[in-house]
Amino acid sequence: MNAAIDTTADETVAMLRDGIERYTNEHYSFEQRWNALRSSRGYSEQRWADYAEMGWLSLRLPEEAGGLCADSSTTAPLMEAVGARLLMEPLFMSAILCTGLIRKRASDQQQAAMFPMLADGSLRLALAHQESLSASAEAESLGAIACEYRDGVLNGSKQAVLHGDCADRFIVSARDADGRLRLCLVDAAATGLSHKHFRLLDGRGAANLSFNGVRAEVLAAPGPVEADTEALADALDEASVALCCEAYGAISALNATTQQYLKIRKQFGKIIGANQALQHRMVEMYMLQQEVRALSLAAQQALDRREPERHRIISGARAFTCSAARHIASEAVQMHGGIGITDELDVSHYYRRLMVIGTLFGNRDCHLDRFASACRRGGL
Amino acid sequence: MSAELRQRTERLRADIRKFVRTTMPADILRKSSQHLMLDKSEYVRWMRALQSKGWAVAHWPREYGGLGWSTLERFVLEDELGRSGCPWLIPFGVKYVGPVIYTFGNERQKQRFLPPIVAAEEWWAQGYSEPGAGSDLAALRTSAVRDGDHYIVNGQKAWTTYAQWADWMFCLVRTSRDDRPQHGISFLLIDMRSPGVTVKPVRSMDMCHHVNEVWLENVRVPVENLVGEEGGGWKLAKFLLVNERTYGSGLGESRAAIARLRALLADRNEAAFARRIVELELRLLALECVSYQALADMEHGAETGAEASLLKIRASEMYQDILEATVDALGYAGIAYDPDTLHGEGPPPLGPEDAGGILRYHLYNRAATIYGGSTEIQRNIIAKSVLGL
Repeated sequence: MNAAIDTTADETVAMLRDGIERYTNEHYSFEQRWNALRSSRGYSEQRWADYAEMGWLSLRLPEEAGGLCADSSTTAPLMEAVGARLLMEPLFMSAILCTGLIRKRASDQQQAAMFPMLADGSLRLALAHQESLSASAEAESLGAIACEYRDGVLNGSKQAVLHGDCADRFIVSARDADGRLRLCLVDAAATGLSHKHFRLLDGRGAANLSFNGVRAEVLAAPGPVEADTEALADALDEASVALCCEAYGAISALNATTQQYLKIRKQFGKIIGANQALQHRMVEMYMLQQEVRALSLAAQQALDRREPERHRIISGARAFTCSAARHIASEAVQMHGGIGITDELDVSHYYRRLMVIGTLFGNRDCHLDRFASACRRGGL
Repeated sequence: MSAELRQRTERLRADIRKFVRTTMPADILRKSSQHLMLDKSEYVRWMRALQSKGWAVAHWPREYGGLGWSTLERFVLEDELGRSGCPWLIPFGVKYVGPVIYTFGNERQKQRFLPPIVAAEEWWAQGYSEPGAGSDLAALRTSAVRDGDHYIVNGQKAWTTYAQWADWMFCLVRTSRDDRPQHGISFLLIDMRSPGVTVKPVRSMDMCHHVNEVWLENVRVPVENLVGEEGGGWKLAKFLLVNERTYGSGLGESRAAIARLRALLADRNEAAFARRIVELELRLLALECVSYQALADMEHGAETGAEASLLKIRASEMYQDILEATVDALGYAGIAYDPDTLHGEGPPPLGPEDAGGILRYHLYNRAATIYGGSTEIQRNIIAKSVLGL
């Protein structure tokens, strides 16, 4: 099965996709991935340096800064690879999500300082936004933010920040004295910032953060403060789209490996794929993969659309992808039999990564609710 | 269930609940109800506490130290223990090889092996599956070649649960080749301390060590350790597999798991989730009814033989779905995981005290639809033996 989403004639994206495939084939097989997984950082510094050199960390930077000003369609192949190869490095969080926010809301001065460091990989950013453990309520409801930013000082806490254990700096959502949402920049080593590091189910690092009188600056792009709220909302939608792409990559890899296993595993004198029951189930997995592919593409394009259509498609894609991924992951494990349960085989690693993808930035219930409300608003 | 069945079991249920309150070691109960990993000494303590009431082997005939319990009483025991959060009743000695030995073994074997099983002094492992013989168990290739008064055993067993703790392994071996693979299989008891036995750990996706590969290289096994006839082992294997697929396993555990799920969502106002729990409770009701129906049918000799398969399919799938819903209810606490805290040495990274255990149990129980006869095999059994397809 060809895992490529390639409906665009855009040469740049095609070249990027090829480059990613060549690189990961050579450097990020499942066997090679163990080094990253077992390292104290939970990812490979060498691979991160390679990504910088290949320009992957610059994708979202403006052309003047050596980037492609990439939108979600351009970064899609990278996110697919994050899923297909179970990459451990903070590509999604730092290079795609946070770099986008810096581009939109940082001042010229802040950008001048940060762009080169983002490009060469010496600066890793993480977005600290989540405050409760709930992934199903309107967790990204921008109205729920309790962290406070007053007189240049941050107080409050954030939970489960993806890659929060290796970030050099955080973008933190907080409310100012007038109750408006601000995006603040905080050094990981700042006085008053305490953290608890832990690993997620898929081996990637995370952190809970506690801000106690921490000095911070806001992202200081000129213009109204309300633009912070809009930028954050956009970023959360971009996150959703990126996670759909990552899930698609993981799903494609899982389907390929399961399909292969059905053809080689023999019991009772024949390959298990000879059983029509399993063929039909594999077809279901294939169909879901095609649907997720199409929805991911639609979600990428929906970022340019207006409400309620934007959320109808983006949250619809997320909700559909969450249940498709869950189904495929479970079937892949089940069809592999005993070996599917082991840590040694890649199947369970995809299973666990998809569990994490299905919770970050809103789980299925959250997006189904948002999809439903967008449908109602759109008169559908 | 019928009023008559209910009456008979009420007294027993009360006794079991009293046991859980008074005799069950509280430290072990706390760990098992949070789905934390137990070590060997904890499992042994648990089995001995159970046996202090005679219950670990209650289903054995009285002449071998049992209480001669019926299937109904065994069902009630496991239901109540599961409901209370008690640990897994380690089956390898008391449910699997013990009954094989007292049914098919000779006097010497009964006297040598049964008492240490009852006293939880010897730990057993099940050497059945192999890399090439999972669902197709008869395809096993571990060979046993007669050499004087020993068999020389060579081969590899897979998925041997807790073999790292085992003193003995009951092993299906091939003593001859035949047109029909089921013929030529023998049931051998192997001392795990024999030279040539190597246990290699296999980590599961819960990042814990439950199963192993057991490599057998020129292991010398005394002929006296053959149970039953040489080449007649398939009958013993099937007898044991029927016991593995015991009636009604999992009902109590599911009930406890749903109660935990409800408690997690008690303060939240999520209509969609509330509906989801109700659907699970409906499936639990169906499982309970069909379990008691199967028990009643057995009493009247009216069983179809497919009951065990139906119950295994429904119980395992439902339990998985309950655990999945519980992990969902944990939200972000359901994606944080620290294997170092799974033995009870500290809280999980996020969420309530049992968040790590719940997540571990969800991951591990992806195997529930695979071990003990996969769902696919169970469906084939029903299709063939009941529906004639």
